[in-house]
Amino acid sequence: QVQQMQVPVVSSTESWNFGGGVQSYFLFLRFLVVLNFVSFLLIAAFVIIPSIVFRSVGSNLANSTPEDCMEYNPNPQGLEVFYNYFLDLLSGTGFMEYSYLFYGYYNNTMVEDRNFSYNIPLAYLFTAVFYFAFCLICIIAMGTAARVAVATGGSAVGNYSMIVFTGWDFGCLGDRATRLKQKNIHYRLQVDLEEESRNKRAAALTLCQKIVLYSLRIFMGFVAFGLIIGAFYGIFEATNFSQGILGLIIEYLPSIVITAGNFMVPLLCDQIALVERYSPSTTIIVALLAVFLRLVSLGVILFTLWSQITCEGNTSSGDCELCCWETRVGQEMYKLTLFDFLINIAVLVLVEFPRMLVDNWSNKLAQWLGRQEFVVPSNVLGLVYGQTVVWTGALFCPLLPLINTIKFFILFYSKKITLFNNCRPALKTFRSTTSTFFFLVVLLFGWGLATVVMVYSLAIHPSMGCGPFRFFPTMWSIVPTSFYNLSKTTQEFLFFIGSQAFSIPLFALSVVMCYFIALASVYGKSVALLRAQLKLQEGCDKKFLVKQIEELSRQLQISKHNAGVQD
Amino acid sequence: MGNKQTTFTEEQLEAYQDCTFFTRKEILRLHGRYRELAPHLVPLDYTNNPDIRVPLTLIVTMPELKENPFRDRIVETFSEDGQGNLSFNDFVDMFSALCETSPRELKTIYAFKIYDFNRDNFICKQDLEKTVNKLTKGELSPEEVTLVCDKAIEEADLDGDSKLSFSDFENMISKAPDFLSNFHVRI
Repeated sequence: QVQQMQVPVVSSTESWNFGGGVQSYFLFLRFLVVLNFVSFLLIAAFVIIPSIVFRSVGSNLANSTPEDCMEYNPNPQGLEVFYNYFLDLLSGTGFMEYSYLFYGYYNNTMVEDRNFSYNIPLAYLFTAVFYFAFCLICIIAMGTAARVAVATGGSAVGNYSMIVFTGWDFGCLGDRATRLKQKNIHYRLQVDLEEESRNKRAAALTLCQKIVLYSLRIFMGFVAFGLIIGAFYGIFEATNFSQGILGLIIEYLPSIVITAGNFMVPLLCDQIALVERYSPSTTIIVALLAVFLRLVSLGVILFTLWSQITCEGNTSSGDCELCCWETRVGQEMYKLTLFDFLINIAVLVLVEFPRMLVDNWSNKLAQWLGRQEFVVPSNVLGLVYGQTVVWTGALFCPLLPLINTIKFFILFYSKKITLFNNCRPALKTFRSTTSTFFFLVVLLFGWGLATVVMVYSLAIHPSMGCGPFRFFPTMWSIVPTSFYNLSKTTQEFLFFIGSQAFSIPLFALSVVMCYFIALASVYGKSVALLRAQLKLQEGCDKKFLVKQIEELSRQLQISKHNAGVQD
Repeated sequence: MGNKQTTFTEEQLEAYQDCTFFTRKEILRLHGRYRELAPHLVPLDYTNNPDIRVPLTLIVTMPELKENPFRDRIVETFSEDGQGNLSFNDFVDMFSALCETSPRELKTIYAFKIYDFNRDNFICKQDLEKTVNKLTKGELSPEEVTLVCDKAIEEADLDGDSKLSFSDFENMISKAPDFLSNFHVRI
């Protein structure tokens, strides 16, 4: 089913209706769906299914020293009102908390059979680490593929004569498609014309005007910065406030503040950019700002969670009641993902669908409102944000990649429907050759943040009462423990591999080799592409010159003939 | 597949198949479409090659051409009298040149003829201005149109006479990646 996901706007008749950036967006989204699905299969195979199978079999590792929070049983007692189930579904508490969804349900079972042994905590850890490595490899692979297009520069955009003579698709049928096509050609011409006139205007500014413009820009920069700080503070306060009080809205407060911030700040920055009359390429930089806003707002949530988990050093105070902090973090990530998805669907249904109806029924109102544009950068950032949340939470919520696969899958088709029914071509054409590469670079930032979180969680003290790593001082310590259970020869071999004399040169060598192999393949592809282009060019130029020579010689002969006749 | 049709003789159909890129079935279908435009004018029986021409005003009502900004020029280019009245031969020629299997050189020749509004074998600035206006349907201001035309001529004109001859046009088209797929009418 996943392989059949047809990326829209691939056919030539429609490819210029919306611009190449849209195509990159859908390709990127499809890549993410496949990535999430494969990671879910990985996790299911090594963690979830063994957990289900070995739940009753196998022994628990016991610890002799009793401590607080040994008992972890969040199952609800007594009668449950129906709407509580709904609340629990949305916030991951109650019946959902003590289930395969979250970290707290997994036991640290170790199965020892005659020839077969399976160590669930070890599997959990290694699967998580491998999941991150696998995602990194996939991103780099896609990035290298996209890099080829960047290296060879792609086709020339903004070529006036080409737009004028070959821009119109003669096979374009239907009134609506024709209007769209006309608008598209108009926009393409206009983008370049605007750039020209802007350059002319910029060159014609007097010194006084320049000073005014720059001071205005600096002031607006401060305003934007202040807004961002305000948004962060709001998120911080909201996360602190939501602890310890029931109620769905309060539970979702961090998500609401983040989403509100993510809507408002880029919108305001857009308005600011309009005021300052930035060129379209600078608005891309503003979009980058929105990237950092989203990722760092996620970082703020994590920071507040961390300060609550460590109870700011005060483990004995009454406020510190988190028995199973991993489940708590998993719940927060689960809520963020769910809320993001609900907001996307709500925006599609409540905002874009009525706009489409307005367009179809009343032309005047439609002209005043303007049709919804499919803005590629903000949509891509939404995807990167969602994926980063999933990566951060995957260690604590193993089913999150599956939820994300379903979420992105539904998003793919709803965005596709929205695109064809509601949207007009975007005003700012987005160069598609560089955009895929850019998306993957941004995704790499998100991956980096999630890796930092994972490495940190591996190093701190897991909860005593729940999860596969209870009774261990850190999550990572399971590796040395199981290591000493291996046979002597295996231990010596692994020691040798792991020793500094061997592993560090090997690691450095493999990194350097990988780099050169990637570089060579990219260059090889570029060379092949350039060679093909050159051949084509050469042939055409030769033909043209030959024709010119023929023409000239013919004219020469005619003039000679005329001169001869006159004599 | 019986030879039940009485529209054309076998020799006529063979001739059409040789001269155009269409198959037998497609030629018969084209005749049906041609007849649809003016049923009272076009006879069903074409065996004796009647000299019937369908006027321009009827041809441009075809759905394939209706929305095309260059429909008048296309029909005029393929008509023998230059006024846009197409006989069936011209009609078939037109769609054959614009079909998928038509080669690049043929399409380039006809594209040049279509864009050459004043038929002087050069695409001069006025021709270009008309083209741009038809493309954007008056959404650009006159200065912008002039700017676009100047830039386009600057880019494509290689012999420096500030108008595009056929070789300039051909050279420019050869670099365009989607010319073949765009210059294609499906019938």
